[in-house]
Parts: sequence; C-alpha cells; structure tokens
Amino acid sequence: MANPDLPFFHFMDNQTARPVLVVRALSKSFGGIKALDKVEFTLNGGEVHALMGENGAGKSTLMKILMGLETADSGEIMLAGKSWENHGVRDALDRGISMIHQELQVVPELTVAENIFLGRESTRWLPGWLDDRSIYQTTKQLLTDLGVALDAHTRMKYLSVAEMQMVEIAKAISYDARVIIMDEPTSALSEKEVAALFGIIKDLKAKGVSIIYISHKMEEIAQIADTVTVLRDGKYVGTKPAAELDQSTLITMMVGRTIDSLFPEATAEKGEVVLSVKNLSIPGKFQDISFDLRAGEVLGLAGLMGAGRTEVARAIFGLDPLAEGEIFIKSEKTTIRSPEDAIRHGIGYVSEDRKAWGCVPGMSVLHTMTLSSLRDHLRGGFIDAGSEKAAASRMATDLHIKTAGLSQQVLQLSGGNQQKVLIGKTLLAEPEIIIFDEPTRGIDIGAKHEIYKLIRQLTAQGIAVLLISSELPEVLGLCDRVLVLAEGRQTAVLSGQTISQEKIMNHAIQR
Amino acid sequence: MKQKITTTILQARNSYSTRVRSLGVFGILLAFVVICAALALTTPRFLTVGNLTIILTQVSINALLAFGVTFVIITGGIDLSLGSMVAVTGVAAALFAHPDTYPLVVPLGIALAAGVAMGGFNGLVITRSKVPPFIVTLGTMTIGRGLALILSKGRPVSNLSDTFNFIGGGQVFGIPFPIIILVVVFGLCTLLLKKTIWGRYMYAVGGNEQAARASGISVAKVKMIVYTLCGALAALAGIVLTSRITTGQPNAGQGFELDAIAAAIIGGTSTSGGSGTMTGTLIGALLIGVISNGLDLLNVTSYYQEVVMGVIIIGAVVLDGLNRKG
Amino acid sequence: MKQILLILTFFVALTGCNQSDDGANGGKPLIGVSMLSMQNEFIVNISDEMEKKAEAVGAELIVVDAERSALKQIEQVESFIAQGVDAIIMNPCEVEASSPAVTKALAAGIPIINVNSATATKPTAFVGSDDVESGRIAMEYIAKRLSGKGNVIMIHGYMGQAAQIQREQGAREILKKYPGLKMLAHQTGEWDRAKSMSLMENWIQSYGNKIDAVFAQNDEMGMGAVKALEAAGMKNKVVVVSIDAIPDALQAVEKGTLDATVFQNAGQQGSQAIETALKIIDKQPYEKEVLIPFQLVTKENVAEFKQ
Repeated sequence: MANPDLPFFHFMDNQTARPVLVVRALSKSFGGIKALDKVEFTLNGGEVHALMGENGAGKSTLMKILMGLETADSGEIMLAGKSWENHGVRDALDRGISMIHQELQVVPELTVAENIFLGRESTRWLPGWLDDRSIYQTTKQLLTDLGVALDAHTRMKYLSVAEMQMVEIAKAISYDARVIIMDEPTSALSEKEVAALFGIIKDLKAKGVSIIYISHKMEEIAQIADTVTVLRDGKYVGTKPAAELDQSTLITMMVGRTIDSLFPEATAEKGEVVLSVKNLSIPGKFQDISFDLRAGEVLGLAGLMGAGRTEVARAIFGLDPLAEGEIFIKSEKTTIRSPEDAIRHGIGYVSEDRKAWGCVPGMSVLHTMTLSSLRDHLRGGFIDAGSEKAAASRMATDLHIKTAGLSQQVLQLSGGNQQKVLIGKTLLAEPEIIIFDEPTRGIDIGAKHEIYKLIRQLTAQGIAVLLISSELPEVLGLCDRVLVLAEGRQTAVLSGQTISQEKIMNHAIQR
Repeated sequence: MKQKITTTILQARNSYSTRVRSLGVFGILLAFVVICAALALTTPRFLTVGNLTIILTQVSINALLAFGVTFVIITGGIDLSLGSMVAVTGVAAALFAHPDTYPLVVPLGIALAAGVAMGGFNGLVITRSKVPPFIVTLGTMTIGRGLALILSKGRPVSNLSDTFNFIGGGQVFGIPFPIIILVVVFGLCTLLLKKTIWGRYMYAVGGNEQAARASGISVAKVKMIVYTLCGALAALAGIVLTSRITTGQPNAGQGFELDAIAAAIIGGTSTSGGSGTMTGTLIGALLIGVISNGLDLLNVTSYYQEVVMGVIIIGAVVLDGLNRKG
Repeated sequence: MKQILLILTFFVALTGCNQSDDGANGGKPLIGVSMLSMQNEFIVNISDEMEKKAEAVGAELIVVDAERSALKQIEQVESFIAQGVDAIIMNPCEVEASSPAVTKALAAGIPIINVNSATATKPTAFVGSDDVESGRIAMEYIAKRLSGKGNVIMIHGYMGQAAQIQREQGAREILKKYPGLKMLAHQTGEWDRAKSMSLMENWIQSYGNKIDAVFAQNDEMGMGAVKALEAAGMKNKVVVVSIDAIPDALQAVEKGTLDATVFQNAGQQGSQAIETALKIIDKQPYEKEVLIPFQLVTKENVAEFKQ
C-alpha cells in the first residue's frame, strides 16, 4: 500500500517537532464575502491540533481547501516543506490527508470492508473488482490495529454512529493518512464511545499521525488537544498550546469580546398555567406524562438519549398522534391533530433536526421565516410582499441574523444563523408556548449565548418555554423546573435549589 | 455588452438564490431564442404572424397540461394520468355538446367536473395511502383510458355544436381562442404560484415535506389542491382538443403526459421538487412547439424530430444541473 | 351490453387464463378472436359485425383486444389454443411479429383466419381487402381531379405498419403513372386527427397555395387536414382524399368538405371471416383468400354508404 515516493516518508521517524503542513496567508472569497482572509496554520507531526472558531469563522472552508474540495484564491500550502497545489480530493488522499466528516459518508448497504475500499476499485485500469479476500484481510488487520472489535463483513447499516466513525478512521489509515481531519467527531457519541475515540487518537498520535480536531466542546479541547488555533470571521486570531489556555480566554479569542455570564439571570414573573398535559402516552415511546407549564416559565425536559423527550414534544406539537392523554391550553381541553392545530393554539416548536424538520432546500431566509405565519400577510387573497418582508426583516434584526440579504438561501447560512431563522419562523406565528428541542446543538458559543438571552427575553414577555437539552449546564442554567424522563417514564420533577447535575443523572438512569 | 447588462441586473437583485433561479430560466430562454433565430434564417416562412399564431395554437394544449403538471412536480410528485384525463374529459364534453341539446355550460361543466374528480381521486389516494404518485397516477392513467372507451363505446364522438367548436377553432379579434385561454391560464397559474400562500406551500412541500408539516402546513391539503388543479387543467386541455378536432376521441391524448412533463423539465422545474416556474414551463412548451413546427417546415422526417426532442430534454436537464452547481 | 363485453374481454386479456367452457355452450362452435385494437373505430366495426354474425348463426365468440401489441396477441392465441377453441380469427398487429401466432395455431391443428391484414406466415384463410388497392383508388381519384397535373401531399399512418406500407405503395404506383403529379411533402400523422391537423397547419405555412391535393392514409388524418385547410380558408382549392369511410368522413363527404374517401367494408370483412371460420369447422369447402373490394365514396354515391 505504502508508496515510498510520498513526501511523508521522510518524516516517518521521530520528526514530530517539524511541521508537516503549513498554510500561509490563505484567502478565499465567495461572491464578495471573504470566507478566509490571510489565514495561517501550522501543523506539527504527531500533534492534536484543535481548530476553533464560531460557525462561519472559516474552519470548514479551510478544511475544504486542504481536502481539495475548494481552491484558494491566494496563499500557499506547504506539505512536508514543499509548496503544494491541491488537485482535488484524490490528490489530497494520495498525499496522506484524510477527513472524517461530521455527517459520515457511508454506503449503508455495503460491508465495512467494501466501504473502506470504496472508490479505489474504479481507479484501476483493468475493469473488475479488487480481490475480495485481500480487502477483507486488510480490513481485518486495520481494525485489529485500531483495537476495534468489528467484523469486516458487517453491513454498515447495522453499525452505531460511533462504530461507523471507527470505520471512517480505519479508512483514513488505509489511505496511509499522515494528517486526519476530524470534524465534530463526538457530536453523536456517548461518553463511553468518546473515551474510546480519544484512546484511538492517542494511539494515532504515538504513531506520528497528526490530527486536526474541530470541535465546539471546551472540555474535549482541554482533554485531547496539544495546540489550539482560533479563527474568527475568516481571519487568523492566534495559535497557543492548549495547556496555556483557560476557557474564558478561549471564548474571548473566538467571540472577540468577553462574555461575562453564559446564562443571563432569570427575571420573568411566573404567570398562570398555560399548558397542562395529563397522562400522555404513546406505547413504545412514553407513558403517563403529566405536567403543568406556566407563563414566563422554563420547564426542562431532561433524560438520556432515547428517554422519550423529543417524542413527548412531537406529540404535543401534533407531529405524532397520541394514544392516550389530554392536553389543556389555558385550562381548556384541546385536541391537537397536526402542527397546524398546534400553531393555531399558540404552540411553537423548534426542532432538534434543522435539516430534516426545519429548512427547505432552495428556500430563502424570507420565505422560510414567514412559512408558519403567511396567512397574516394576505391582502385580497394574495401575499402582500411588503408586509411579509417587513415582518421578516424586523425579526432578522431582532435576532441578529447574519445574512447576505433576506433572499439568501437558508441552507447557505451557518448553523447558528439557520437556527435563528427557524426560531424567527416560530416567533412570527406569535406563539404563547414554545418548545425548544436541543436549540443549541451544533452551533457556536456566541450564537448559544444569544439564544439563551432570547429565551430569557421571551419568558420575560410571558411566553412559556419547554426546553429539551442534552447539555446539562444548559438545563441547570436556564430552567425553573426540570422534568426528568427515563425510558419513557417521568421519574422526577425538580425545581429551584434541588436542580443539580447529580440529581438529574440519578433520576435519568433510575430503574 | 449584453452579458454585462445581465450581470448588473442580477447583482441588483443581490441574492444568490434569485440569481441561480433566473439563470435557469435565462439559459432556456437563450436556447429558445437561438433556435428561433436559426429557424428564422433557414425558413423564411417561420417568422410570420400566421406561423407564430399557429405555433401558439398548437402549443396551447400541451402548455395547459404542462402548467398543471408543474404544480405537481413542484410539490415533488408526478402525474402520468394527464393524457387519459384529456381523453375522458374530452369525450365527456363531446357527449353533451351535440347541436341543439344542452347549453354550452353543460359540456364544459361536465368535463371540468370529470377532470376535478379524477385529479381529486389521484390526490386522495396519494395522500391517504402513501403510495407513490408515480404508481397511483399510472393506475389512473389506465383507468382513465378505459373510462374514455366505455363512455364513447370505443368510437369517436362527433357532430358537435358550433358554439362548442368555437373554443378550439374560433377567433376573437383575429386571435385564435386557444391562445387567449393559454394567456389567461398562464397569468392565473403564475399568480397562484407566486402570490398566494398555496403557491408558497407547494414549494415548501416539494422542498422538504417534513419541514413544511412542522411549519403548520397541511401537506395533504396542498397535495389535494395540486392534483385537483392538474385534473382541472387537463379537462380544459381536453375541451380545447375536442373542440379543435371537433370530435371526442377516446384514444386522444396518448403520450401527452410525457410532452407536458418534458415542457416542465425543459423549463427548469426540478424533478426532485421544490423549484420551478410557470414562465420556464411556458418557454419549455413553446420550445417543443417551435421545434416540431420548424422541423415540419424544413420537411424533416418525424424520426429525426423525435431524436432532436430527446436531445433537447436531456440538454435542458444537464443545463439545469450545471446551473445548480455553479 | 357492449360495456360488459368490453370489460369481459379486458379480463380475458388480463388473465389469459384457460377456463374451459365445458358444455356451457352446448355444442356451439367456439371461436377465439384477437383484434388489433379496440380503440380504433374501424376495427371495432369489424368486431361488431362478427358478433352480430356469430349470434345469427349460433356460434360462441371470445373477443380479446391485443392493444396493438404483437406479443400480447401471441399470448392471446396461445391461450385460445389451450382453451381448445374450434377456430381462431386474428386481426394481426404486425406482419412479421404476429406470425408466430399463426404458426402455433396451425401446429396445434386449430384453423386460424386472418382478418383485415396479413401476416408473413400463411394462415388457413385470409379475409380482407388489398390495402395497395385502396391507395391506388385514392390517388387515381386525385389524378383525375387534377387532370394529371399538380402538387400532392401525403400523410402517412404509423410508419412501418402493413396498412401504411401498402397504402403508400398503391399511391406511389399511380404517381409514377402521372409524371405531372409531384409529391411536395410527406410525413407521418400517426393515424391521429390532432397530429395531422398540426402537420397540415405547418405545411400550409411552408407551401401555402402550392398545395393542390392531400392524400391522407386514413379518414381521421383526412379530417384533421380538412380542419386545418378550412381554418386557412383554402379548402375549396385543395382536394382531400382519405381511406376507411368512417361515419365522420361520410358526413364530411356529404357536406363536401372531404372530397372522397375509400370505403373498406368492415361489415363484409367481419361477417365473411365468421362464415369462413364456420365452413372450415364444418369441413366444407372454403376460399383460401376472400378479398372484399374497396369502393370510392364521393358526394354522388355517399348516400349508399350512410347507415
């Protein structure tokens, strides 16, 4: 497999201190917007180098250029001391640069081995498949080396996300990768799986492989990274050894200003009960859920993944039919059969999955934002474009949405801004109850802070919030009360001083 | 120079999305103009008022169907029963359009009702059963053909009243009536798509059905509207066709659905849903009409005509794909 | 009744099953009939006449629609063979592709009669008309009307079908005889009225007053050409002739909009087919080729042909 002509081979032995990859004054613009502005980046052999920055800071553009998915406008990339012009993904792979994408790129119907060697058959001159035995043997060896207990013959669709990630790593190594880029690798992993991944990263490091690690999670950076480089708004901010950085310095570097307190103080008065659910059940999903939600209150729904939190929210919003139970809105019994009904009764829902349940591909910011409230802009049966635009632009200003204009496509925005657009859509329907389902998943710390502030503002206006979050600090920082679910059953309602990380976890894993 | 003006206009719109979309229509418009220019140069008869009027008249039936199917394709669906609906509604209209029997509204009303019923049936089955539109409308295509034969007893229904025949053959101020219908329907469809909530909802449903549902849109209602509308427009096309050939033909409209879908696709409607415009579809239909007229004028054998048409369909989709990327 | 029959034939065609009619028909001869397409008026006329005749003579018919598919037709004939019918009448979809059906029937010892058009393999008997003749009659009429001098346009049926090939052949034979007649253009109208109307509209644009006569290979297309010429105000200057003599065309001939059509006797073809089949079943002498003559229909004699 190994090609002795590869430049990396000169660095195989203990060259850990010398730079493997150097990026100098790299710039890239998209239609007038500077995605990268003279960015610097130096990666040493055998180090874990964290690349940090808010969404839209330019991390993914930089990675795309390294992988050959985009070409830079100016600047230079030096690979093993030699200037390198990237000729596309193939070139990057051949030179030992691999990337593990946040959204794993696997073919579910193929086996582990077939996935690892996918695309390499076609480059051969002779038609026909690679000898099956050889790919399975190589795969077995790779997996053993990684210490992963997986069968090379298993189809990808039967694997967990963590296992798929291991396969992707094995694939990167099979390309003889000397640089592996990992984009938010832990976003879908359990704690145990994260530990396993970190173990593998340490092994790779010991073998002289360099890792570019992209993550938003501060704890992980402290745990795994040797060096941290921060980008902001496409510009290079600085590079520091991880050991010298504390959390607040890092946040300041990323955001460009000091955020004194991540979670703003609660000021809202609690009003009357606006939403009351009794004995909600959907067999196989959740059983006997009952709670009250008051105006101006934030009620947390906590629990492990699969505990039924999202399912409860979906049922209240009318996305899934309830088998049993009653919903009262302002003490009035209400039947909710569809999101249409829910919105009409003043319930809003911000989904955990922006791509699947929020954004419409090709649709503009303007049209997305008004999708739930379009009827408010009717004049004589037709849409009043002026009134529609005014409402959306007011909301965009209020929520500090960064766009090239209201007609920009939503999917072209950063995650945080997408989320804000979807929140804007919910708010324009003027709800009195809002369900936020993982509102800060995959978005950067600046946008997180803004969403926290927004939730406070909304409750101050008397809106009731039901918050689902897997991030316990978020639950602790925002919620007045917390309803804990375990395996579809409600195990505790905590409030005030009794809310603590330990208590929530205790109830969440209660038998 | 021309390029410069266009780019300035595009920049003035100041948005990536509108740029891509208008480029899509722009590309096909350019192709249309080039082909027209080429035909004008090779056949002097092409660019005459008489010939252009004839092209518009010939295009009207396909355009009406294409408008209907554009709505459907925008929502991510497909309607293969168009041709059969044309036959059923055409025969139904003809049965009640004999001279001195019923007033004109009766055949028109019955044909429209038949179209609405068939389209509604499509919509109902698709929304209730979750069977893919492709299969459902494939079924109605066959059912419709059978119904047309049953209604007509397998024979053309002729001897239609002059008032009825006026719809397809008459003129108002020298303009053939089908052209007037075409223009009016085009205007109404554009308004519906661009200026009403239902038009907006169609894009949302086709772009991301789940997101549309979570935004409080009744996806089933949107689909019902779209298929029913498609049926109604097929009925209109059936009326125009029957009136134009002064017979209700049970075997009329075979393959019409493919021409209509081709017009929509050539016009930049994405088969995966979520995008498309009436203007694009109109240009697509005109392009098909112009080519078949032009090749007839050039006395090119129909064998080659079919090859040319296929090349253009593929070309349009490739062009569309390129636009989407860049 | 017709509807029920249509649906019944539909199901027979669908299932292609071999239900045995044991005794139900009480010794009546059973004849399987596979028709080219029940969506074509002329074919439906033949089939209607067969049913009428069968009822009169006390024969049982199973009529199925091949929907223009030779493959389907072969399968239908196979299922007739399996049902053990006494004779098969086939209205072939295609000259070559429908031939295996004839071979199979003959191999099974079941007499097979082709009606209306021919197959490459010779059947037990053929009942129909010589399509070449109809083309000759039509073009001869045009030659007479134009006194042997002028420009002619021809609208073909589906290219490659027996009727199209033979009607074109007949027409061209006559054209050769009159050097003064010039073929201006020819193109397919696919037997369809709307298609031929569009075609004619476009030709009017390109040739205008140069067109003296139109020969359409069936009445549907002839009617389409008439519509287009009428709209352009040219009908009185152009002679239009077509073939088949469907009711619509007869009406047009009576009104004088269509100059002439050629009558192909569907009724005769249908009843003669049944008669021939019965003769064969009863082991009586029969003619191997029953040719029903064509007749030219003009304003003068149209009354004879209107029912």
